[in-house]
Amino acid sequence: MIIKKRLATGALGLLTALACGLISPPAAMADEPAPDSPKVELVLDVSGSMRARDVDGDSRMAAAKQAFNEVLDATPEEVRLGIRTLGANYPGKDRKAGCLDSERLYPVGQVDRTEAKAAVATLRPTGWTPIGLALRGASKDLSGGDGTRRIVLITDGEDSCGLPDPCDVARELAAQGTHLVVDTLGLTLDRKVREQLSCIAEATGGTYTAIQHRDQLSSRIKQLVRRSADTPVQTPTPVRGAAECAKAPYLGSGLYSDRESFGEHRWYRMRVAPGQELRASASVAVDRTVDPDYGVLLRAVTPGGRELVRGSEAGSGRTDVISSGLRYPIADVDDDEDRTARTVCLELSQSFSAPASVKRTPGLPVEFAVDVVGNDDPPADLAAFGLGRGWVLLGVLTVGGLLVGLLWGWLARWRVTVWRSN
Amino acid sequence: MRVLRTVGTALTLCAAAWLTAAAPAAADGTDGKDGKDTPTEAGTNFRTATEIEPGQKATAAASTGDYLYWAFPAAAGRIPKVEAELKLPDAASRHGGATWQLDVYDGLRRHQPCASGMPTRRAAQQDRSVTVSCTLRQVRSWSERWANDPLPGAYYVRLTVVDLPAQDLGLPIDAEIEASTGEAGGAHADGGDLTPLNPVLRAGTAPGTDSEPPDDTSSASPDDDKGGDVPHAVAEPEDGWGSGWWSDRWVWTVIGAALAALAGVGGYTLTRGPRHPGRPPIGTGSDI
Repeated sequence: MIIKKRLATGALGLLTALACGLISPPAAMADEPAPDSPKVELVLDVSGSMRARDVDGDSRMAAAKQAFNEVLDATPEEVRLGIRTLGANYPGKDRKAGCLDSERLYPVGQVDRTEAKAAVATLRPTGWTPIGLALRGASKDLSGGDGTRRIVLITDGEDSCGLPDPCDVARELAAQGTHLVVDTLGLTLDRKVREQLSCIAEATGGTYTAIQHRDQLSSRIKQLVRRSADTPVQTPTPVRGAAECAKAPYLGSGLYSDRESFGEHRWYRMRVAPGQELRASASVAVDRTVDPDYGVLLRAVTPGGRELVRGSEAGSGRTDVISSGLRYPIADVDDDEDRTARTVCLELSQSFSAPASVKRTPGLPVEFAVDVVGNDDPPADLAAFGLGRGWVLLGVLTVGGLLVGLLWGWLARWRVTVWRSN
Repeated sequence: MRVLRTVGTALTLCAAAWLTAAAPAAADGTDGKDGKDTPTEAGTNFRTATEIEPGQKATAAASTGDYLYWAFPAAAGRIPKVEAELKLPDAASRHGGATWQLDVYDGLRRHQPCASGMPTRRAAQQDRSVTVSCTLRQVRSWSERWANDPLPGAYYVRLTVVDLPAQDLGLPIDAEIEASTGEAGGAHADGGDLTPLNPVLRAGTAPGTDSEPPDDTSSASPDDDKGGDVPHAVAEPEDGWGSGWWSDRWVWTVIGAALAALAGVGGYTLTRGPRHPGRPPIGTGSDI
């Protein structure tokens, strides 16, 4: 009897626990970061020049190590972090060997703080500065998954290996459609370093920071890592626009990315039914040196070639992006009329140009935000509810009322007179 | 009895697990978009623009040369105004003046002109801070598709340096920004209705083969948007996207109606006037 009762108790407890487990929030079970959690790789220059003692009286290496320790402590749980070094191992003079020296110090994943800190502590300023190679390696380390990818490059010197040019490498990596962003931090105010690092940042839509103080270094890296966690995972879907409307890809609503060369026109198609409104915005980003005047033109065209509406914008000077948008509503029709969705072609062109020395491929990054929403009829009256306002209105109404009163009075008198005379 | 106790214990544990699991989520909520905490970061492009509420002061630490993006909602009948103050690096570390610029874009990423304000300003080398501002035109309830009128929805703000000595790139700055939306008043109250220009933040469906359109995504999307589970650039303002039904036009129109009625009665009385030269005053007795 007792055994039976115990069994029953156990079974009931088990059931409750099961139910509890079933309804408990998913966060309680998530020990591993989701497959689309953001990935960040810190790429640290460990070349010989990091010995220089010019960051608040300390060596650049010491400042970087301290910053790394603070960053590792502050890394949000959902971020998968990795560390890569460049110039950490080969101390010799042979350029060829020195320029192959980039090593994955800590694999991209959930951070074991003690382990990662121990690995960072072993670093001694040693070799060359193969930035291009390190960027390629870092991009490989970050491959896989759907989350955002970010490389934080911390260096004190320009690439001492020449080829591959790190700026071209960065642009090439960004063009692979993996939404990679490279943020650069320079530990020196040297002109060449600044030019190279800002070029790398510009090529991927990242940022460049000149570091002069120790606390600035750690707070900036922390900010960049945190930014990774905050950035939405909705990365645009890659698409390839065609050279004419008839061959253009159909877009749904959402974000898309593409590349467009100088002087190129790209076409896309959308389906819009009567009673709906097409909304399209296009941004062309600047990822290399371009001439100071530029523009963008987005047109909505029927398949027959008639222009429906256009959005255009022009600008000059320093910019990250130039964008424009358009909206095209199709009026609702009666039930017995043709309600099938119509095809609207979108043509994107831009008037960027670049000096002859600038590489033409890959094209400039393009981002599309397209949507189809419900279309409301145009208002019958542009004033709110057709209401009036102002002294003229009052005057008109008063005079009008007076005239109507007079007219009515005379009519009444006339009627009485006619009635009496009969 | 024991059965009850066991179940009770299990339930208590269960509740505890729930609470501990829910707590971090709740904490996330307060410093996220829904909370009243002011944002301390700025976005780096249209897609990642940090949402700010009108009347809220947002800050961001950044480097000279960064492009800082924020987004705020504006309803019909409002006049959006954005003001930003930048704290510049030490004059000693700079090499000359720099020009700072504030750009405002609507939800379609169309550049919006500033009706007033100083969107571009040059800071001299010794200046410690620089203030830029931009007041847009009034947000309309509806506009022609060819027009660039401000419409209800999200507005993007971009703050950056447009001209500077190359050596000053990357130096730290602090930015403070505030967006406000003033009332335009009844004189400008207009009619019409429009789905707000509030961009959807989600990846597009992979495009179908070149010849065939994808399964009718266009017809599905308007309903999706109303579902509320699709992330948008900004949250809807408390009073909605429209300008509301009230405006002082109601007062003017009602006064006009009353005046017309009085004038009508007056006009009528005038015509009757000569035939009925007023009744005898009440209480003076009868002379019939």
